[in-house]
Amino acid sequence: MTYILPYILMALAALGSIVAVYLAIIEKDLLKAALFSAIQSTLYALLYYLLMAPDIVLTYIPVAVGLYPAVLIFLIKKTERYEGES
Amino acid sequence: MRRILHVVIISSVIAFTVLAAYALCVGGLGYELPPIEPRTLAKIYLSTTFNPSLRILSAMAPEAVTAIVWDYRGLDTVFETTVLYLAIIASIAIMRGIEHHEPYDEKKGMSIIGKTATKIIVPFIVGVAGAIALHGHLTPGGGFQGGATAAVAPLLVLVIFSVYFLEGIGLTKNRALVLRSTGLLGVGITSFIVFMIALIKGFNAFILQNQPKPYSPIGLPYAFNGNIIGGTLLLFNISEMLAVAAGFTILFILLAIPEEKVKKVISSQGESHG
Amino acid sequence: MVNIVVYLFTIVIMSMFVNIALALYGILARPSLIKKIIALTILGDSANTLAIIVGYRFAEPYPSPPVLTKLPPSKSDIQNFVSVAVDPLPQALVLTAIVIGLAVTLFLVFLTIQVYRLYGTTDVRKIAKLRG
Repeated sequence: MTYILPYILMALAALGSIVAVYLAIIEKDLLKAALFSAIQSTLYALLYYLLMAPDIVLTYIPVAVGLYPAVLIFLIKKTERYEGES
Repeated sequence: MRRILHVVIISSVIAFTVLAAYALCVGGLGYELPPIEPRTLAKIYLSTTFNPSLRILSAMAPEAVTAIVWDYRGLDTVFETTVLYLAIIASIAIMRGIEHHEPYDEKKGMSIIGKTATKIIVPFIVGVAGAIALHGHLTPGGGFQGGATAAVAPLLVLVIFSVYFLEGIGLTKNRALVLRSTGLLGVGITSFIVFMIALIKGFNAFILQNQPKPYSPIGLPYAFNGNIIGGTLLLFNISEMLAVAAGFTILFILLAIPEEKVKKVISSQGESHG
Repeated sequence: MVNIVVYLFTIVIMSMFVNIALALYGILARPSLIKKIIALTILGDSANTLAIIVGYRFAEPYPSPPVLTKLPPSKSDIQNFVSVAVDPLPQALVLTAIVIGLAVTLFLVFLTIQVYRLYGTTDVRKIAKLRG
């Protein structure tokens, strides 16, 4: 029979990323929203590996799990932490 | 109450996705997913990426993605480097005129445990980034991958030690700008090198050329002593890694300046306008 | 009954569309500039994933990444490689798109810092009221 384990893992990673994206958009504490965005990027990196794209994995992991949350935390420290308040 | 609402919404969105996928499968999309045969263009790229019997059409690099990025579609990459350059210049223009020079002493930065761990890890990060960039034509990797990984090291040093430590070492914003310009000069020279060699020898050539092509019988060697070096791809990868890593270092140094130093510049600018 | 491989693959495609819709809601409906930046990065990443999914293919037992591993290759090696490797062109284009997205996001971060320094808030409703 054909190997279906990669496809099951692909479907689980995609459904998990829906949960992470919803939590990142809804959250009012911006620090937690940046952390949920990093979780979504990790699940996307797993999805890129299963889709046989190793070049993209090597670009995406330092950019979206390393640089984006670090720059966002710098930004939150310099401006406001909670959205919706003055 | 809010928590139950969020759980209900998430589970209904997931149920919608699963059921809509089932409806799409049963209804039929017109062709089979995932497809069995790739496109004709993909077959051409895959069969000519390293083909010693088709020497005139081949790019002589076993890694198809790096060959497409720097050889088949090299002009796209040159324009993308320009867009990154414009973004960096615009960011430097926003944060102009800020002076911050203080000597570094031991009390700045985080605790001694963090500093010792960072001293051990930073050479590993730079070494792995160099390995990824130099092997770009044989294994997955290349200039951007190596440059983005190498840009994590100055970020770590900026957070654990402080921005004054980097000034003390000598890595200021202007020196990082010089490094970036050196990398971009490397990219520019490599895209013209076969053209200049052909002009001297009297042949016909194209810009961004790597191997001999139908109307121009000159190119860079693709193997040296039995090792595959991929012609211009190696020079492109090295220059691009230097340019990308230095470019991100500039932006991180500008981001890490404390806010007290900036307030003087902004208030003095406001007074001169008001 | 449907083929299980086709069904699982279609779940991945549908969840990418759902992610794009959620990120669009985040850009348009949330009032903080930082939340808008986070949602913009999610939108760009989901669109890139959709482009890579277009380049996938189905092979028995499993496809291979577009890297040739037998050097020097003979004719049958190259024909075997063409019959199991995925499409390399969408991956090259997505590489460019990731770097451009990173450059634009970094510039947006600097603009947001400057807006906070000059106006004291990052709430778009309050900034819209400041005119005049």
